[in-house]
Amino acid sequence: MSGIARLYRGDNDYDFRKLWRIALPLSAVLVVISVVSLFTRGLNLGIDFEGGGVWEVPSQDFSIGDARDAMGSVGEADAKITTLTNSSGDQIVRIQAGAESVTRSGEITETLADAAGVQPDEISVSTVGPSWGDNITDKAVRALVMFFVIMAIYIALTLEWRMAVGALVAVAHDIVISVGVYSLFQLEVTPATVVAFLTILGFSLYDTIVVFDKVKENQARVGLANRTTYTGLMNLSLNQTLMRSVNTTVVTVVPVLSILLIGAVLLGAVTLEEFGFALLIGLVSGAYSSIVVASSLVAALKEREPRNRQLRERLERSYDGAVPVTGIRHATPAAMRPAATAAASVGGSPASSSGASRGPGVDRPAGGTAIPPRPRKKKRR
Amino acid sequence: MRRKGLRGLLTFLVLSIGAFVAVLAVGYKPLLGLDLQGGVSVVLQPSEDVPTDQLDQAIDIIRSRVDALGVAEPDISRQGDTILVQLPGVENQTRALDLVGQTAELRFRPVCGVLPATDAVDAGATTTTTAPAGGTTNTTAPTTDSSATDTTESGLAPAVGLGTGESAGAVQADPTTSTAPPTTAPPTTDTPTATTVPATGEPSADCTAPPTDVNRNGITRRVDDNAEDPVILPEVDPDCDIDPADPTACWVARYWLGPTALKGDALSDASATFPNNQWVVNPIFKSGADGIDAFNEVAALCNTASPSCPTTQLAIVLDGVVISAPQINEPSFQRDQIQISGSFDEGSAKDLALVLRYGALPIELEPQQTQTVSATLGTDALHAGLVAGLIGLAIATVLMIAYYRLLGVLAIVSLLSGAMMLWTIIAYLGETRGLALTLAGVTGIIVSIGVSLDSNVVYYEHLKEDVANGRTLRSSVERSFSNAFSTIVKADMASIIGAAILYFLTVGAVRGFAFYLGLAALLDLVAFYFLLKPMVALLVTSRRFGAHPSWFGIPERSAAADGAGGPIVGLDDAGEDVP
Repeated sequence: MSGIARLYRGDNDYDFRKLWRIALPLSAVLVVISVVSLFTRGLNLGIDFEGGGVWEVPSQDFSIGDARDAMGSVGEADAKITTLTNSSGDQIVRIQAGAESVTRSGEITETLADAAGVQPDEISVSTVGPSWGDNITDKAVRALVMFFVIMAIYIALTLEWRMAVGALVAVAHDIVISVGVYSLFQLEVTPATVVAFLTILGFSLYDTIVVFDKVKENQARVGLANRTTYTGLMNLSLNQTLMRSVNTTVVTVVPVLSILLIGAVLLGAVTLEEFGFALLIGLVSGAYSSIVVASSLVAALKEREPRNRQLRERLERSYDGAVPVTGIRHATPAAMRPAATAAASVGGSPASSSGASRGPGVDRPAGGTAIPPRPRKKKRR
Repeated sequence: MRRKGLRGLLTFLVLSIGAFVAVLAVGYKPLLGLDLQGGVSVVLQPSEDVPTDQLDQAIDIIRSRVDALGVAEPDISRQGDTILVQLPGVENQTRALDLVGQTAELRFRPVCGVLPATDAVDAGATTTTTAPAGGTTNTTAPTTDSSATDTTESGLAPAVGLGTGESAGAVQADPTTSTAPPTTAPPTTDTPTATTVPATGEPSADCTAPPTDVNRNGITRRVDDNAEDPVILPEVDPDCDIDPADPTACWVARYWLGPTALKGDALSDASATFPNNQWVVNPIFKSGADGIDAFNEVAALCNTASPSCPTTQLAIVLDGVVISAPQINEPSFQRDQIQISGSFDEGSAKDLALVLRYGALPIELEPQQTQTVSATLGTDALHAGLVAGLIGLAIATVLMIAYYRLLGVLAIVSLLSGAMMLWTIIAYLGETRGLALTLAGVTGIIVSIGVSLDSNVVYYEHLKEDVANGRTLRSSVERSFSNAFSTIVKADMASIIGAAILYFLTVGAVRGFAFYLGLAALLDLVAFYFLLKPMVALLVTSRRFGAHPSWFGIPERSAAADGAGGPIVGLDDAGEDVP
């Protein structure tokens, strides 16, 4: 059976520790690159942060050269000038000038209208005072700090504090990498980008909470918790939620891709492009970090707990040091089953023999992953 | 359980569809933000920290000004310590921004002299003694001295008279004609003190010579326009389109003005009325020393054409522009018996009343961010957003149905009902609260498609897993739901808390986005509990569908498993044995 088919049937049983071993160093490298880029190259901040003005002139025969001449006549020769095409195929000339243009925005609008032969009201103008950006940045930073504090409390209360640490480190990882991409490629940061970054917070957290909630659920399952290490439990939960993560990411990314490709590239809506790209980075990063960063960190933290350490040592004794983390996917203890189906379903566990109806033992290729027997002495029914 | 689920489902459907139909029936539509329909947006921030109530007061004043503009759906709101003014669909964007941003004080200044609009400064200085110049109008009958050359230009200067009873025309320039020579001491009988203005004898220092420190157009520079200094300021034709290259083209006259006698806060109200077939403006002053007493003090001076007010005119100045310069025709007034008359039409009378009423904001506001979006760009953005959203939705629908089959169909039904509720709420809030749907909001909603489908995915994966573990489809439904629901509540709550933090702590686009994302998360929970749960339960327990797990995207058991009997037994008698 192919990997995809196994995923579809819910039989996937990967060892995520292998992924962690490759991905965690990768994440570390990406974070370092991001931070270094942030400090050396900085961010390409849009006018909303730096102050300045943007004029969008709808005109077919208004060339970039014309625009530059017009801007030169008002002393703004170094304005950034680009052309866009809107949905009806009309050309729009976009002129961006620095903070000193703000006070003379009326004059510049008139000049451009004259030069392009359009009415001043047809020109879209945005101006931002220089202090506004600081204002926005302050508010965004304050919102971010509040977000972290309240989310830490919330997750600590509903799940547990180690999970809060894991989830928030993963969120921080996503933000650093997303901002890093913007810094590395010097993409323009606008308020829309900031909105998208803030959305990433929510998404990353959402993914992580789904995984962690599954861990909690598995922990509560009688017998299971004593048969595997916490890492094994985490691995099981990741396997169980993998299909959800894949499906959710796909159905979320598809509309965002649609925004990016259709809205921005085909229809030329600048704001949509700004949203779409940052969201795309964030969504992919969020799905990745909940599987790699958040879960490995929580597993590492939990393994340090005395209770889990003892469990691990005991399991290591019975497995000669190599505790498998896979193979427990469907090894649900029979005690959990409703009486009617119990016999049919114990599947992979050697202790239950009658059913063999369905389960890893049947579907998996022979000689597949090891199935851990229960610790016999602790067995209780 | 089945009947109960059905009843809940029906109630939910009736309520949500009913609300949707009701909103459609009364014609509520979502209010489009100005980035989607074009318009003007400006963020104003006080130049220093001010208490909230002053900010709210400023918002009220701005709202009155905007209402006077006739904007269809203005949105003026406080966001943190800033004021966001959004004027969708406004045509004359520059004028709207000017009006909204006008934060200067309303000042009353005695007129020392009237200068021609475009003459050089020294020329103006020579004509200053020809006092009332064009200040008097054809309606203010007793204009005797109209020697100045600019009479025709300043045809609007009205007069202030007593608005009492039958005082027809109100322009009782009466005995105290405008030509009164600046010799006699003013009858300062009613004025408590005359400390601010030298009352008697020699001419006031303020009207001896016009300020010479002027710009190239012959008016006082903006930075030098201090309340306590004499200034030269223009009167501007309100109907004239100002050409930034030559603003003087729209000037009616320039006024040489004395120091500010009183400010807009001395007024308590003003209205435009139409007694005796003539539009007049009735300002009402506050009582006491800071109100009517201060006004009477300067009225007495002007009425007698004292040296500090030789023209008998008192100018109403807003933001460096003379709005009106009526003659003072009485030495003393009752606070609510004042009438400004002149050649007003309805529009100009109401405009003047508006300026008097709302001229001064309690605080100084600086525009921080202005944005004008042309209507075409806005429509383009809306179309792009809608097309992108629909295509994204279509692909997501195909994926969900391909993967989850019937369950996928239910997910789409649940998504559509969520969209219906969202439309209902957006239309309702847009219509009643003026909450506009912005491009950021549209993006938030498109993104929330993923959030909504995710809760279904979480549920279905639980279901698949339970079935894979050997449960029957039927027995899995309840169990999977409670597990999935607990997960979804935790995750959605995180989204809602996050959205709330963003909503309350940020400004502008982020707020709109946060609102719709939070709303979508909430609706997701509602639709999931009241719609998806009973729908899935009904479908799974139904005889026709329940026996075919593959129709739900749940893998069929292998032949070996089927042969062994196993869990399929539970499905065969679905609908009968489970209460």
